[in-house]
Amino acid sequence: MAFLTVENITKFFPGVRALDDVSVEFEKGSVHALMGENGAGKSTLGKIIAGIYTADHGTIRIEGQEVRPTDPLSAQKLGVAIVHQELAFCPNLSIAENLQLGTMPRRHGFVERGRLRERAQALLREIGVDMDVNTPVAQLTTGQEQMVQIAAAVGINARIIIFDEPTSSLSVHESDQLFNLIGRLKARGVALIYVSHRMEEIFQLADTVTVLRDGRHVSTEPVAETSRDKLIRQMVGREVLVQRPKHLDLTPGDEVLRVENLSSVGQFENVSFSVRRSEIVGMAGLVGAGRTAVAKAIFGLDKRATGHVYIKGQPMPLGNVNRSMRRRIGYLPEDRKKEGLVLMMSISDNISLPHINTFSKFGFVDHRRELQEVEKLTNRLRVKAPSIESITAGLSGGNQQKVAIAKWMARSCDLLIVDEPTRGVDVGAKAEIYQLLDEVACQGLAILMISSELPELLSLSRRIIAMREGFVTGELSYEQFSQEAVLNLMA
Amino acid sequence: MSSPLKLNFSKFPEAGLIIVIVVLGILLSIFGGEVQRPKMVMGSDGQWTRAMEKDASGQEIPAFVKVNNFFNAETLTQIAKDTSFFAIMAVGVTCVIITAGIDLSVGSVYALAAVAGAMYMNQFGSDGSPGAAVGGVIVTLVVALICGALNGVMIVAFNLHPFIITLGTMAIYRGIAFVLTNGQSIGGFPEGFRDFVRQGVIGDLSLVPLIVMVLVCILGTIFLSRMAVGRKVYAIGGNEVASRYSGIRVGMVKLLVYIIGGATAGIAAVLALGYYGAASSGDGQGYELTVIAGAVVGGASLFGGKGSALGAVLGAIILQMIATGIVIIGIPQSYSQIVTGVVVITAVLLDQFNRWVSDRRLLAETAHIKKEVVQASDAAAPVK
Repeated sequence: MAFLTVENITKFFPGVRALDDVSVEFEKGSVHALMGENGAGKSTLGKIIAGIYTADHGTIRIEGQEVRPTDPLSAQKLGVAIVHQELAFCPNLSIAENLQLGTMPRRHGFVERGRLRERAQALLREIGVDMDVNTPVAQLTTGQEQMVQIAAAVGINARIIIFDEPTSSLSVHESDQLFNLIGRLKARGVALIYVSHRMEEIFQLADTVTVLRDGRHVSTEPVAETSRDKLIRQMVGREVLVQRPKHLDLTPGDEVLRVENLSSVGQFENVSFSVRRSEIVGMAGLVGAGRTAVAKAIFGLDKRATGHVYIKGQPMPLGNVNRSMRRRIGYLPEDRKKEGLVLMMSISDNISLPHINTFSKFGFVDHRRELQEVEKLTNRLRVKAPSIESITAGLSGGNQQKVAIAKWMARSCDLLIVDEPTRGVDVGAKAEIYQLLDEVACQGLAILMISSELPELLSLSRRIIAMREGFVTGELSYEQFSQEAVLNLMA
Repeated sequence: MSSPLKLNFSKFPEAGLIIVIVVLGILLSIFGGEVQRPKMVMGSDGQWTRAMEKDASGQEIPAFVKVNNFFNAETLTQIAKDTSFFAIMAVGVTCVIITAGIDLSVGSVYALAAVAGAMYMNQFGSDGSPGAAVGGVIVTLVVALICGALNGVMIVAFNLHPFIITLGTMAIYRGIAFVLTNGQSIGGFPEGFRDFVRQGVIGDLSLVPLIVMVLVCILGTIFLSRMAVGRKVYAIGGNEVASRYSGIRVGMVKLLVYIIGGATAGIAAVLALGYYGAASSGDGQGYELTVIAGAVVGGASLFGGKGSALGAVLGAIILQMIATGIVIIGIPQSYSQIVTGVVVITAVLLDQFNRWVSDRRLLAETAHIKKEVVQASDAAAPVK
């Protein structure tokens, strides 16, 4: 009997079925990799085991006993810990304090600082890491912080540790350190679940690999019996979501954007590419590959960027949003709630925000004209809301995203950069957004589309640029398109 | 579909404040009781004199009228005058608060600007020349604008929290005022200036501060709800990152709101100069808290993105009505601060409750849309 089993797990998110009847078995003292593309459900499964999400259907058993972790704390009591990117600590407190937040050694209500330090040092020694336990967590690198998370997991005597894309922002050296540590934990008999989509790591690290696709279980095999090509074949094969976009039948026009040797310290280096009129250029890469940083630099949000950006052949100075907007560049940020929308404002206020000056005469807003223009856009984009004066906070993800896109349609752009245009959007709205992007491309817009969804990139783009760890690793023309080819360049 | 009444209410959030003012007014009128006031009549020469009447024995004695303790012209004008100073500044501070900032220095700007204007008028206008009065007003306003601009420049340039910067300038500006005056009160202004501010508009009632307050409220409303830059003020308070990503020059807008905060302190200082005829470095001590309280009672959110000029004025009126009401009802004055504190907290709690109710209504309105979306996506989802 397996140490940990999940049976028939199903999980719904608004508008999507993230996991659909998934059953997997995990063994002690082995590394079990969960693989799959973005949106395949691998992270969701990890988070359900760790109690961050609760499954809608299905059971989890540890040593045959059914368990129901409803939150991370109850999962911890069952010996389940998760190591992930989201900050799990109080950044202002020291490593020692964070490691014993709930179990501070006390005497008469006072913290015993000596014992606090000793215990923390003991935990770090146990996982073979040497760090000053008085350092505030805020001063640690991501890698060091993960080490502390692992120490915390060891501290609660975790029998199951889940790693959720642990290496996505680690340096090579830090990754090696992590892999060593995982090896030691394995030797101690811990069941390790490793969520990732980096091929090399899987073959270096894992004993067993499970592939998920579209929330469904595809295969579980020993790593020794599979191969890179076989895994890629199992991961891909999601159905293409839209019919062939019309802009592919047009000939791209003049060059709108040319980027030459664009660099930003610690983010990306020597990035060069171009986008033409009526062309959608996709940008592929993993989280942390530098795609968003490149987009922000083009839009003028990176003051330290160096290199050259030409708009319609004219050089454009970097580091000034207003200048970029005057050159008719629009940017749909990847996080619409933090960067895209003012949630407490109405739909119309949000849409007209970038162009409020053009809707004004002598500084006064021409409200009638503003509403007319906004109404046209919301009709065109089919934003579903009680009225255009409704507050955006109350809209569904898809409708919010449409509003965020409409911001850049209010006045014609030459170049539109869209960063994850369909993230957190339901299926219906997704199709509508694809259609819209195709439509405006046909009207002559140049579009640079960053996306982590391969089917989206493959079905909408004319060309795909792939990035990995801050470098452009290749460019694919439409004839060369395949999921395997893109994955090869980005992973 | 929402009923017209609901729509009106949501489009006019200050309605609640007006209701509170009316209720407060009615309560104070009922519980305030009556007082006897000397009866005045206007003679043929336009002068007010005391009316006389004959008592039972036929002797001429001064006549009295019974008036409501609260609801009479003198008390109401008094409240209006007292409110005006706070309300004008509350409009400026509301602009600051909407950007999620704060201005603790208004009281000190008020004092420094008043002192500067007073020194100018005292220097050049003791002979009563009207030019000196105009000069004094200009000096007062310019000093206030400079103070506000300094706040804004430091907040933007050093990227420090406005609480810290204005906490510092609160002490600095008042300190400068003290050094300039040596702690002495400065008076001796041109008579004409004083007469202008205190002149009777309706009968004997001086309404100049009230009129200025209404003007500032109208200008503030136009600025915030009709001008493009007003929209940017709300956007910055709602989400500064998204505003920057929409091409708004966040620093410039922030600078502007602190200048406006200073300017309103300057306007209040001009009125105070005229009304009281003197200024000292101790003027307006603690005003910042009253002003911020007024803005908050008026619906401004300290988290930013919410607030209005009208709300600020109404909030200031409510606070002043309560302060006056305590005296009228006969509660010992010493309780006044306690009551004011309770009112501020209650007002904000009520506002939160109100927002919770309207959020629920919003959710109810959009619920059917979300349902449609889910159904649509279920239909579109690939079948196994």
